Amino acid sequence: MLSRGLLAASLAVAGVLAASLISASVFGASSSEPEEVAAPTSQLAGDPALLRRLPQDGTVLGSPDAPLTLVEYADLQCPFCAEWARRAFPELVRDYVAPGRLRIEFRGLAFVGPDSEIALRSALAAGQQDRLWDVVHLLYTNQGAENTGWVTQDLLDRIGTAVPDLHAGRMLGQRWTPLVERQLNVASRAAARDGISGTPAFLAGPTGGKLEPVVLSSLDAAPVRAHLDGLSVR
Amino acid sequence: MSLRVLRVGVAAAALAGAGVTGYLLSARWGAGELVCRTGGCETVQASGYAEVLGIPVAALGLATYAAIAFLMLFASPKALAAAVSLALAACLFSAYLLVVQAAVIGELCDWCLVNDALVSVVAALVLVMAWRSATGSAATSAPRGATHVPG
Repeated sequence: MLSRGLLAASLAVAGVLAASLISASVFGASSSEPEEVAAPTSQLAGDPALLRRLPQDGTVLGSPDAPLTLVEYADLQCPFCAEWARRAFPELVRDYVAPGRLRIEFRGLAFVGPDSEIALRSALAAGQQDRLWDVVHLLYTNQGAENTGWVTQDLLDRIGTAVPDLHAGRMLGQRWTPLVERQLNVASRAAARDGISGTPAFLAGPTGGKLEPVVLSSLDAAPVRAHLDGLSVR
Repeated sequence: MSLRVLRVGVAAAALAGAGVTGYLLSARWGAGELVCRTGGCETVQASGYAEVLGIPVAALGLATYAAIAFLMLFASPKALAAAVSLALAACLFSAYLLVVQAAVIGELCDWCLVNDALVSVVAALVLVMAWRSATGSAATSAPRGATHVPG
């Protein structure tokens, strides 16, 4: 028979055990957060709030009612993609996306190396919270040399905490979900279908209509602007 | 319900819990992707709360369930007391993790919810056993002669 003293002792032990586990869990979870949490954007290039008020839906930036669509094929490690993102993207966002004239669809590829894949998976996972474009923008503006391991957990943590309305833990946890796998495969098949042989590559056209390749004569906004303006006046 | 039946019930629920935690642990170690209807399993398992001091929570759960099932092999008060401590601590810790999933991570994990149900059953049955044993009510429901002390 269990004495009441032994029962009381076992209850006390249970309380101590539970308290110890919970304390260790809270401490462990908080210490695994990046130290930069207090000032997460201090070492990040780029503007985490650039796209804050713009609608996003998965891999698409801009209003679903926008009359024009631009498709971007890119590898997040590709230096030319990053240069285009720095020079052309903010201007296109300001002049076309923000006024509701253009929606941009991101089709990520990962052919440069391992950093490409981890960066792309992170961006696609952020897309599940409709914050893909913020992560893409910050990855481009903080891009390192190809295949040097620059897509570190620390960088992703800082990007995750810097982007408004993005739950960093969920982004990191959803990088290997079936949805991300499917998006990787869909973009890869679409690139083969569209004959994409290098990045960045763009297709543009009326939303819901036929998209045609944009000839990139330079990495500023001019070639895309010219193409879009040509579509607008037809 | 006799103490023996309760012991079997606790052992069965603990073995079921060991199966769930074993599955979570095998998925964590790369045996395959978790089957997850809520879609939150991977997120929860990848969070900082899925480990305590570097030990996967699923491994702690597996060890706890195995220990409780093992303790149910013995009818001694000390074994019951140890089972009470483990089951109640596991239940409290599971409740904490449930709050973390809902309020901090923002995702629920199917298998964690199944585990929560099982650990609640284990804790409830063990507490009933302990209460009966401590108050001596088990003696009244035991077969006639079971409480007879020779001599």
